[in-house]
Amino acid sequence: MKIKKYLTLTRAGIIESLHFRLGTLVMTAGNLLYLIVVYFLWKSIFASSETDVVNGMTFNDTIIYLVLATALFGFMEMYTVWEMGRNIQSGKIVLDLLKPMEYRRYLFWSYSGSFVTNFFFTVLPTFIVVGIVTRGAIPLGTNLLFFAVSVILGVMINYSIDFIVGTICLYTESIWGINIMKQVIVLLLSGATVPIAFFPEPLKTVVYYLPFQSIYNAPLTLLLDGDPQPETVLGIIGTQLIWCIVMTAVGKLFWKISLRQITVNGG
Amino acid sequence: MKKKGLGFYLKIYCKILAQDLKSKMSYRADFIISTIGMIFTNIAGFASFWILFRNFSSINGWGYYEILFLYGFSLVSLTPVQCFFDNNWSLRTYVYSGDFIKYCFRPINLFFYFQSEVFDIKGLGQLAFGIGTLIYSWVKLGLGFTPLMLLKMIVFLITASLVMIALQNAAAATCFWIHNSFYVLDLVTRFKDYAKYPVTIFSPVFRFIFTFVMPIAFIAYYPSLVILRPDEVPLLSWLSPLFGCLFFWLSYKFWMRGAVKYSGTGS
Amino acid sequence: MSSIISIKNVTKEFKVLNRREGLKGSIKDLFSRDYRIVRAVDNISMDIEQGEIIGYLGPNGAGKSTTIKMMTGVLEPTSGEILVDNNVPYRNRTKNAQNIGVVFGQRSQLWWALPLIESFNILKDIYQIGDAEYNNMLEMYRSLADIEPLLHKPVRQMSLGQRTLSDILAAFLHDPKIVFLDEPTIGLDVSMKAKIRGLIHALNKEKNTTVILTTHDMGDVDALCRRIVIIDSGKMLYDNDIEHLKGFFGSYRTLKIRVDGDLSKQSEAVRRELSGLPVSCNDEWISILVDEEKATVMDVLNQLRNAFTIRDMQLEEISTEEVIKKIYEEGVK
Repeated sequence: MKIKKYLTLTRAGIIESLHFRLGTLVMTAGNLLYLIVVYFLWKSIFASSETDVVNGMTFNDTIIYLVLATALFGFMEMYTVWEMGRNIQSGKIVLDLLKPMEYRRYLFWSYSGSFVTNFFFTVLPTFIVVGIVTRGAIPLGTNLLFFAVSVILGVMINYSIDFIVGTICLYTESIWGINIMKQVIVLLLSGATVPIAFFPEPLKTVVYYLPFQSIYNAPLTLLLDGDPQPETVLGIIGTQLIWCIVMTAVGKLFWKISLRQITVNGG
Repeated sequence: MKKKGLGFYLKIYCKILAQDLKSKMSYRADFIISTIGMIFTNIAGFASFWILFRNFSSINGWGYYEILFLYGFSLVSLTPVQCFFDNNWSLRTYVYSGDFIKYCFRPINLFFYFQSEVFDIKGLGQLAFGIGTLIYSWVKLGLGFTPLMLLKMIVFLITASLVMIALQNAAAATCFWIHNSFYVLDLVTRFKDYAKYPVTIFSPVFRFIFTFVMPIAFIAYYPSLVILRPDEVPLLSWLSPLFGCLFFWLSYKFWMRGAVKYSGTGS
Repeated sequence: MSSIISIKNVTKEFKVLNRREGLKGSIKDLFSRDYRIVRAVDNISMDIEQGEIIGYLGPNGAGKSTTIKMMTGVLEPTSGEILVDNNVPYRNRTKNAQNIGVVFGQRSQLWWALPLIESFNILKDIYQIGDAEYNNMLEMYRSLADIEPLLHKPVRQMSLGQRTLSDILAAFLHDPKIVFLDEPTIGLDVSMKAKIRGLIHALNKEKNTTVILTTHDMGDVDALCRRIVIIDSGKMLYDNDIEHLKGFFGSYRTLKIRVDGDLSKQSEAVRRELSGLPVSCNDEWISILVDEEKATVMDVLNQLRNAFTIRDMQLEEISTEEVIKKIYEEGVK
């Protein structure tokens, strides 16, 4: 079966990431600490405010949003740009290109094992903790299904963006600079640091027209909406789908063109 | 053999630095992209700040300009770690590949030799940004100016830098024991972003943790109090230079211990 | 004369983690780990005189680099005693470092982005080399190799051969008493190998520097070393002159003959005729391994001439490479 060769990569990835026992522990503990900081920060922010609801968000809404966004961030972060940049600089990329599958896919599936471990070590515990602590603030219903679909689309959009940025490394040695720019833009404009609801007006509109909010904001909106209207769901997932297709296409095309240029110039 | 004192090390460092800068100039593109990346990071940090304060007028009794002061303070105090200790980021790779052994054969301090190899020039952009922010908030707060204040400022900025350097050293040195140390380093880097908030927003337990265990409160909060709120300076602020040196010394010992342990492995 | 390096009954043990296999094993590893002790170096003793070039040989993982790490002061022996220039290397790592130079074939220790001359300049300060000594050394380098084109080239732009050459020059720069060379010719082409060997030889002659050379290339050994030390699985197998080593197996020579008729049938006949000597054959030759202590090649040849018509013959000496291979495989008898 065709999928089997991909799943082999997934399995190898799981084994590899489990081997790093302390790393996993540190990662989990680190995320917890980070969330605690976020909690206290916003608690005191809301405590300093005169009203309980700011821009339509209560403290609970904000914190759930940010906690889940952080968990999703940890889940989706694939360090693709670093990986590509390093492989390009070391020349290992040539070996990867010789593999009997498309590089884009190879890279994705090599990493996919970490999705599984990340899911069990960060995402699931976070959801359970948030669910218990907030006593059911996460509605459980069809929204979970929409959320799952939306997360998958989010992962694909995120990967496509990473892949495009990673391709830039074929042209420059400045991996650090390229990666930090990407990271900063994605984190801010996707609403992972400050929820998009708090953005001032013109900026908010602009952000909704960019692909970044489809990564974290879209799935979280679907999850936290207990009773989503079909139009809302369709609108959000539709937007994600469009971005997914557009970004994937752009990524593929850009990679193809860049690679041709590199092979012609003899890298 | 002559004694190898501070002068000896300073001379070598300056020599390496001068040569390094000379050769960096031949990679202009990398320099420009990295600097832009750095500026992006700072602008994004500033933007999330600005967005927050559009919704809330103060955090825990700290006004916009006061928080901005903390922010500028943290940026400046983070510059030395960025400029002089950036090789910590590569430590993991050297240890992994076994190349770290090459640092063990010189008749000079191992830690110094390793760190001296890289000077990261892009930290200077951050320095400029931080100083700008500091001056701006200083003026807006109407703090006034005396030479004594400047002296205090410099002493406490150095203190704060030492703390951050200590944190990074310790985080980087974990790679001698665990494989996925990247997460540790990444975590500490994420945490330093929270150094710019007053530690009073946390509950006593975490106030203790962020003061003594992961001492990010010393990066901006405690030292800034001396300038910002001269009437209510806690003892910890005055002790912070002592703590800065202590943390640095501890991290150095930890790092060296790791290095010794590393060479003890077979590879 | 007291020796520059003296190693007495040195043993080094490591704790190694047993990893379990497969997905299940990885999960188990998360919760419990078990270690085993590996003896990387096992009761080794040797003395090395100033000015010697020693070939330090052994298959991969034999314990060579562990021994070298102990001599350079990076590792502390589990038991036993090492003295390098009357210093305990582990206790005085920096002092010891002043006395030694180290080159790893694949890992440059020079500043990647800097031109060679700038690296030299920094090394001059690090090792506190006086101006006169430094200039003399550079002068000598100029006389030994064509270094001008290298001096102003950043290390990262050099070819592997140029980089190795530069690394060797850098290792000798502070006129150390001992230089450790770890596979200096690995990955180089034939002419570059010859150049590197020539340089090492000249530097050793000029400065009477002790050189400890680990390599898998017997060409290096033949060209440079008079004495070789062989270890395997941490144990010392051999420590003596290279001549003596050949003597060990040198009484053996291979006689190859070609005779009329079907070779495999004839080789059977030869075997019967010589009863006792190992005989083998391929498409062209019948090979006979002759132990000259028992019967000379001439005797064997005469004996054969009576029974067969010999069309052609060859005589082969055993090479260092084969000797080493034999030692790795069988040990010293």
